[in-house]
Amino acid sequence: MAVLQMTELIENGLERAVELMALAAHNSFRFGNRNTIRMIAVGKEELEQIAEFCFSLGDMSPLAARDGRNVLQLIKEPCSLLLIGDKRKSDFGFNCGACGYRTCAEMNAAEEVESLTARGPSCQFKNLNLNIAANAAAAMAHRLGLHCRVFSTLAFGALALNLIEDVDLCVSVSVSAAKVNPYFDRHMYWTKEHWDEIFNKEFPTYNRGFIGAVE
Amino acid sequence: MERCMKQYEADRKLAVRTACELILASGVTSPRVGGVGECTIHILDDDADIEDLCQQMEKMAEVQKAWAFFRRDAAILRDADALLIATSLRCLNDPADINCNMCGKLTCEYLKQEPKLPADPDVAFRGPLCIFRANNLAYAIDGMMSQARNLGIDYGVYWSAGAAAMRTGILPKDTGFAIGVAVSVTEKSPFRDIPKRYAEINPRTMNDRMIQRLWPQFRSIYS
Repeated sequence: MAVLQMTELIENGLERAVELMALAAHNSFRFGNRNTIRMIAVGKEELEQIAEFCFSLGDMSPLAARDGRNVLQLIKEPCSLLLIGDKRKSDFGFNCGACGYRTCAEMNAAEEVESLTARGPSCQFKNLNLNIAANAAAAMAHRLGLHCRVFSTLAFGALALNLIEDVDLCVSVSVSAAKVNPYFDRHMYWTKEHWDEIFNKEFPTYNRGFIGAVE
Repeated sequence: MERCMKQYEADRKLAVRTACELILASGVTSPRVGGVGECTIHILDDDADIEDLCQQMEKMAEVQKAWAFFRRDAAILRDADALLIATSLRCLNDPADINCNMCGKLTCEYLKQEPKLPADPDVAFRGPLCIFRANNLAYAIDGMMSQARNLGIDYGVYWSAGAAAMRTGILPKDTGFAIGVAVSVTEKSPFRDIPKRYAEINPRTMNDRMIQRLWPQFRSIYS
């Protein structure tokens, strides 16, 4: 038998894993039996675009900037991003009121509001179907032993860059075959001084004690 | 009935309760956007509690044509052994402050200013809700479904049960959105193979017609 090197094994495995995640998302539970989601998987080049876009949002969205910076690290090792999107209009006819309109017809007829992140107003059940699919993909990644995290920020970036077409809402499942989990406890980005400064700014009362007790 | 059969029935009930607790655990630990907790999960494993809910669902089925299937859902829930209701507490009054525009209001400030739908009979959920927050419910439900599958028990997901539970007042007061997950530990899943007219023709009405009504007549005549 031919020898397969580790890098090749990991790359191929990741490719199969993303396919299986897409399959799990595709076959996940749906309200109203409506399977209308669209999916694409993007590789490192597109991830770099998304990362730069998110990072450029900077102060406007610290969360997006954090994720953008993280992705720039992420793409140094095997990784992939599954983008899952859906249209915003309701095809259920539930008339449930969650969107703020009494009937689905009213919501579908309402004026579309554009923004960088999503087009609204959107049907609550469309959103649930979309996010159940994302969760199913993430659950599959978890079972396959991949590092995984679901990002709205990267999905918003992909939507703004028109990487995924013909959708109004988008969510992304990022997976990685890095040697250590790159998604959580990202302490390497913080110096203690910077962290203390931010903490004191955000939670000024934490270190101050009870106001009535000091002069 | 044999003693061991009685024991089996008691054990089956116990299995339902244990499964519900494990499903709740999986639903609670599923991801939340930004790590902000907001979902609660409530177990209803008492027949009387489930019946209250079914009555409410049947009332709601009268309200509008789009909800006529609530009656069928109620019949299915009566077959189920237990029901878990997952709620979203922050989607009503505490938007995520990330200006995602999923609700179509551009910023969260605009959403806060928007008046909610009135508590009318034909309004199930008093939107506009913060959709970004309510999406956490999708993770909770999928966590619950995934656990139910791993445990190998049957489940069904019903938004009608969530809407009715909000009306019966058994959920926290801040609930903006709720979804029901029914579970069943039975040999035939009550959530699959639902024939037409299930609200009228189901195990209970079959029992009522065939056994409670016809059999006494038969024995009166042929005795």
